Amino acid sequence: MLVALQLLGADDVDLIPEDVLGEPAAPTEDARATAPASRLSRQLFFEDALTLSNLRDVVVPFPPPLPPRWQDRASFDARLRGTPASSLAFTLSDRVNVFVQSGQDVASRSTVRNDLREASVGWQPHPAVDLEVGRIDVRNGVALGFNPTDFFKTRTLVGQASLDPSVIRQNRLGTLMVRGRASWSAGSASVAFAPRLTSPSPIIEHDPLGVSPHLAATNAAPRVLATLGFEVLDLAPQLLGYYEPGRAKLGLDLSRPIGGAVVVYAEWAGGPEQNLVARAIGFGKRTGTLPDAAPIVPPSDTATAFRNDVAAGLSWTIATKVTLNVEYHLHEAGLGHDAWNNWFDLGGAPGAPAALANELWYVRAYANDQQEPMTRHQVFVRASWPRAFTSDLELSAFAFVDAADGSVLGQAAASYYLSKRWTASLFVSGNLGAARSERGSFPERVSSIAQLTLYL
Amino acid sequence: MIARLAAVFMLALAASAARADAPPSAADIVAAADQVRNPSQPFRVSLALVEYRNGQPHDATNLTVHAKLVSASHQYRNLIRYVGPPRDVGKLVLLDASRMWFYDPASKASVRISAQQRLVGQASDGDVLTVNLAHDYTARLIGEEKTQDADKQPHDTWHLDLVPATSDATYARIETWIEKGTSRPIKSKFYSDSGRLLKLAYYRRYEPRLGAERPLETIIVDAVDPHLVTKISYSDFRAEDVEDVWFQRDYLPRFSVE
Repeated sequence: MLVALQLLGADDVDLIPEDVLGEPAAPTEDARATAPASRLSRQLFFEDALTLSNLRDVVVPFPPPLPPRWQDRASFDARLRGTPASSLAFTLSDRVNVFVQSGQDVASRSTVRNDLREASVGWQPHPAVDLEVGRIDVRNGVALGFNPTDFFKTRTLVGQASLDPSVIRQNRLGTLMVRGRASWSAGSASVAFAPRLTSPSPIIEHDPLGVSPHLAATNAAPRVLATLGFEVLDLAPQLLGYYEPGRAKLGLDLSRPIGGAVVVYAEWAGGPEQNLVARAIGFGKRTGTLPDAAPIVPPSDTATAFRNDVAAGLSWTIATKVTLNVEYHLHEAGLGHDAWNNWFDLGGAPGAPAALANELWYVRAYANDQQEPMTRHQVFVRASWPRAFTSDLELSAFAFVDAADGSVLGQAAASYYLSKRWTASLFVSGNLGAARSERGSFPERVSSIAQLTLYL
Repeated sequence: MIARLAAVFMLALAASAARADAPPSAADIVAAADQVRNPSQPFRVSLALVEYRNGQPHDATNLTVHAKLVSASHQYRNLIRYVGPPRDVGKLVLLDASRMWFYDPASKASVRISAQQRLVGQASDGDVLTVNLAHDYTARLIGEEKTQDADKQPHDTWHLDLVPATSDATYARIETWIEKGTSRPIKSKFYSDSGRLLKLAYYRRYEPRLGAERPLETIIVDAVDPHLVTKISYSDFRAEDVEDVWFQRDYLPRFSVE
C-alpha cells in the first residue's frame, strides 16, 4: 500500500505502460461473434464435473440406493436467443448430460439425460408488449436462499454441480405455457397460463428414460400466475397471484437500497394449504409411490390452513470487494421442533420397519423436489468475492443454518478463470451437525466436486 | 464633467474586463465537460475493456451501453449488456438513479444491487456509466494548473474538487482536471468514503462522435496496485431509439437488442 502511494505520488502518467498507449483495441472475437448482423445471442459450453462423496451411517436408515460415492457428469449446454425479425424472438435452452457413477451400469437408461429447459417463440407487436408460447422458465423473487414467490420452481430441479441456490437456478426446467407481458415507464404486468398435459410423475421414477422432457413434473396441473410491478417509495414492489387446483397463493416482493452499500429485501407468499408432511404423503399416494393406507408420519395436523412463507434479508457490499447476504426464512408448513423429534424417534427406533423409514425420507425428498425448506425457521448466509486476490479468482461460500437444531449445510467454492474460455471450479460441501439434526442426519457427510468448463 | 464621465467610462471598462477574465463557475466547467463526454440524445456505444497486468494484456470484457438522458432529473439511465467474455454473455446491468439491477440470463434472476456493488472490480460498472457529474456532485474550483495527459502532452486545465450532491453519486470524492477552452476532461482521481485514492483515470484520443469531440479511450490505473491498468475503448457510437420500458426491471429478461 505504501509503495502504491509512493508510486502515485511520483508522476501519475508514468504509471501507464507504453503498450497500453498503443493502437486502439480492435473489436475482439467475442464482440464480432454477436455483431448486430447475427441477431443471435448464444452461450455454448462443455462441462465435466467429478463428484466424490463421503458417506456415513445415519439415525434413520436411508432407503437404497445410497447416493453414489463418485459420479462423473459430462455436459454440453446451449442457450440460444434469436430475433429473426424485429417482432419475433425464439429461445432454446438445453443441456445434454452423460452420467457415469458408482452403482450404475455405464450403459443404462439413465446414462444419457437431456434437460430441455426452454424452447419458446415470442411475438412482440409493440416494444412494450409481448406474447410467448412454449417451455418457459418463469422465475420470481428477490431473495437468494429461498424464494416463496417463485411459484413455478416446483419440480424443476435437474442435475446440479453446486448446491448454491444461485447456481441451482441456472439449470432448471421451464414449464409449457403461454405468457403475455406488458411494460410501461412506471411498471409492468404479466399473465402466464400453464395447461395440465398429463398426470404427475413420481418424485423418484423407476428406471427413467433420460431424454424425457419431464412434462409430467412441470405440467401435471393447470396453473395461472399474474404479476404486477410498480414503483413506490423506491421499494420496487411486485404483487403476485398464483392458482392451481388445491393451491392458491398471494405474494409480494420488496427491495430497497439503504445507503450506498446495503440493499434490504423481503418476499412473502401466503395461502391456504396443508402442511409439508400432509402434502408429501398425499402426493406419494396419488403417484403410487406410497400405499393408500400409509400413515401420516411424522404425525401431524392434516387440516388446510393459511400458511406463510417469508424470506427477508440484506446484501452488504464491504469495501467494494465482498458482498455478504444474510437472510431469515420462515416456512410455516415446514417441520417444527416437535415434528423433528418425532421424525427421529419413529425412524430411529430399534426394529422400526423399513417402510416407515422410507416414508420419513420420502417427506424430505418431496420437500427437495418442491424446493421448499424442510424446516420451519432457518438462516441463510452467503459471501461472494469476485476478483479475490487476483482478477481471475472468484470465491464464494454459503450456509443454511437450521434455527431449531443449529445444523448446517455449507459450501465453499472457488472458480479460476484459466482463460477467457476455460474455467476451473472446486466445490466442497458438507452436512454438519449432530446425528439427530436436519443436516447431520443426511448420509452424505462431505462432497467435493471438481469441475472444468470450456466456453465455445 | 468630461473628466468625470471619462472616469466612469474607464471604471466600467475595467469592470467589464475583469468579468471577461473571471473564471467560469466550477459547476459550469463540470457541466461543459459532461457535454464533451456524453451525447445529449439517446445513444448506444460499444466498449472494449482490456486489463493490463505489468503492462501485459490479461483480461478483456466487451460491453454495449444504451443510455438516455432523463430531462426531469438531468441524469442518464443506463443499460449495460455483456457481449464477452463467453461466460458472461447476455448479462445485463440496469442503472437508473437509485434503481440498480443485475440480470443473469442463466438463472433468470434480477438482483437489486447497491451503489457500492457498482464498484466491485477494477473497471467497474461505475466507470462505464454515462453520468452527468454536474448533477451528482458539487464542484469547487481549486485553481488553474498545467497538467500532462496520458501522452505527456501539457494542457492548461481547471483543477476541480467534486463531492457528492446526491445519493446517486458513485464516489465519495473526485478530483478532475478539465482543459481550458475545450472543456475536455484530461485526468481524474477517484476516492473512497475513507478518503483512500481508489483509481486514477486519463481521457484521450479525442475524435468527433455524435456532434462533438469525445474521448475514445479512458485509461484507469488502480491506486492500490498501480501495476494493474485498464483501458476502456469506445467505438460504434450510434444515436438510438432507447425505449423507456428498457429500464424496467421486469423488461430485462425480454431485452434482446443486439
